[in-house]
Amino acid sequence: MSLTNPPSSGSISARARTSLKRNLQSFDETIDSRRTTGYTSKVRVRDRYHIVGFISSGTYGRVYKAIGKNGHKGEFAIKKFKPDKEGESIQYTGLSQSAIREMALCTELSHANVVQLEEIILEDKCIFMVFEYTEHDLLQIIHHHTQPQRHAIPAKMVRSILFQLLNGLLYLHTNWVLHRDLKPANILVTSSGAVRIGDLGLARLFYKPLNSLFTGDKVVVTIWYRAPELLLGSRHYTPAVDMWAVGCIFAELLSLRPIFKGEEAKMDSKKTVPFQRNQMMKIVEILGLPRKETWPGLASMPEYTQLQSLVLHRQPAHFHRGPNLEGWYQSCLKNGGYSATSSAGTPGADGFDLISRMLEYDPTKRITAEEALEHPYFTNGGSVSANCFEGIESKYPHRRVTQDDNDMRTGSLPGTKRSGLPDDSLLRTAKRLKE
Amino acid sequence: MAANYWASTQRRHWLFSRESLADVRERLWEKDKVTHSQFPLPDQRLLNIYFNQRKTPPLQEITTCLSLSRTHQIGQAHDHPPTSHCHGPSISQAFLYKERDPPDKSLSGPHNGLLPGLQNGRMPPTHPFRGGRSTRALARYEFITPDVAKLGECEFALISEMHSQLIVHHPYRTLSELQTELALSSDEVALAWSVINDHYLTDLPLLHPPHVIAIMAIIVAVVFKPSPPGAYLGSAQSALAGTMREGQGMNMLAALSDKPGSGPPKIQKLVAWLAESEVDIKAVIECTQELLSLYEVWEQYSEKHCKELIGRMVKSKNLDK
Repeated sequence: MSLTNPPSSGSISARARTSLKRNLQSFDETIDSRRTTGYTSKVRVRDRYHIVGFISSGTYGRVYKAIGKNGHKGEFAIKKFKPDKEGESIQYTGLSQSAIREMALCTELSHANVVQLEEIILEDKCIFMVFEYTEHDLLQIIHHHTQPQRHAIPAKMVRSILFQLLNGLLYLHTNWVLHRDLKPANILVTSSGAVRIGDLGLARLFYKPLNSLFTGDKVVVTIWYRAPELLLGSRHYTPAVDMWAVGCIFAELLSLRPIFKGEEAKMDSKKTVPFQRNQMMKIVEILGLPRKETWPGLASMPEYTQLQSLVLHRQPAHFHRGPNLEGWYQSCLKNGGYSATSSAGTPGADGFDLISRMLEYDPTKRITAEEALEHPYFTNGGSVSANCFEGIESKYPHRRVTQDDNDMRTGSLPGTKRSGLPDDSLLRTAKRLKE
Repeated sequence: MAANYWASTQRRHWLFSRESLADVRERLWEKDKVTHSQFPLPDQRLLNIYFNQRKTPPLQEITTCLSLSRTHQIGQAHDHPPTSHCHGPSISQAFLYKERDPPDKSLSGPHNGLLPGLQNGRMPPTHPFRGGRSTRALARYEFITPDVAKLGECEFALISEMHSQLIVHHPYRTLSELQTELALSSDEVALAWSVINDHYLTDLPLLHPPHVIAIMAIIVAVVFKPSPPGAYLGSAQSALAGTMREGQGMNMLAALSDKPGSGPPKIQKLVAWLAESEVDIKAVIECTQELLSLYEVWEQYSEKHCKELIGRMVKSKNLDK
């Protein structure tokens, strides 16, 4: 569930109100108008929940905020998978793979750092997945820190977020679940500072798969968070792909912008998966070129020749400077005002060591979730709070629950393969223009 | 949880005692007493064989199967908070049957929905001795999906009945894992695999955890190994029914439970392994008996008879409309 959302500001305009109405109607449209003689749900969404507004939409459908009815207390986020052909008379079209995965996995999973499923209602040709409501997500928290002027997320808070994220991920990995779409928008945070991994629409079990994982899904993970082995076409990838994404998220929490912000090459008409040259370049700019000496599997990667051509065709200076993650890290600390004496505190040398182990080229050497949780970054410097907001003064805005979905419907922006808008600047501009 | 049977929804919500299962069925029967006494259906296992043998029942039969489950054999298995919209056992069986075939194609058409989704965990690995099956199954699936909308509706009904609890732990996995440890020959594995196939025709999947079933299948395969070994074509019924009936089986089981050290070396080894493991031997024996009785019932199976009885019931309830 990508509850992508910018911070709210100002009041809801008249236009927004109309569009809210329209949206809530769209929630209703399938529910009230149709009576079929075939399958009918024994539980009706409308009997159990009062829909208070619209949160976001994506390729999968829409997410609404709801409160429980008839003694069923609490706030919820209802993810409605849209029937395929909207508008015309709605038909059963078969469930999407993403819906099935999320339904099957979420029913089994239960962990403090994984989003909590309340129930699933199959009603009138739509699937409604009811989740606990989470007030924030990492994308929104990062936004909040970039405006009106940038101010760093306190080091303690970053540490708590990361610990909880890794803890949830360890649970997924020990249960043989790969998430495959970790990014700030999918990391939810409750108002009491608990981190929940959300959106398991791309997740799958990886215990003794019948086919290589590549055969099942050609492209996984939003481009900016995609591990190098995936960019190089690896057929058999591992939980290490999730750890790379965590490394990227760690970096983004500290610098408030994606560390490897590449441009996605589109699939051509033949549906072959293109080599993501630009994204690979962004990684190389900071980490240097991967080398066979330190990554023995490198030469057998399907896209290895592409990587070599990258070197031949363009040779900017940084190719020869070698790895410079440390330089990136130090300037990030400096720009963010992270230091032992500042109010933000500092992730320090331990933080650098951890991030460099997460952004390790060779997936077999990359740190695992279990190892990361035992890293000095967490074991040194006191206990880690299970409430990431503990001792934090700034108040984060509530999730915006409103109105139109037009500006959220996108198909062509980078990283929007599945849902939501990853690019904060674009999103914010769009919002501002509207207001 | 997904990787742990003991924490799974399968164990928590889909494991019944014989009594509770009987209660559920009784209650459902009572609900529609008149029809049921006017139009009796064959033994549940015979019905299961019927549906299973028609690997890809025409659409109408899928619907019928569903309606039957709803009106007849199953329902309200357990109250399942918070929503209590649960139905029960035999539909899950119907489901298990469906998904035993290779997951090449969505049950409901273009989006590779149900079946590949199930592949995530539900599907047993494709049986090594059933090669070639998958393409044929695929072809069949394509034949039965002219009406995606109806099939999609069935998919909805099934998933809803199952509370979206779609991940199933199958005995096949335990079998593969024990293959090396117990030094099973490929014939034995093939036979055990077929026995596992057959157990889905009974209530066993709802009564015992998958590892118990797997061990039962291994014992049956090792102890009753029929000669000549060969193709079991999915079911072990023809191969095993005779041998098991001759009764050596029951003696063998007696040996398993109290006289370690007798019998051929392979069986001795198995007995020793069982003694060390903490497997519930009583449950394993019960499963063996259940399987034996399935093979007995099977001998009375008549496709025509099943078809007729179902047809009458369907007609009387206007389910074909």
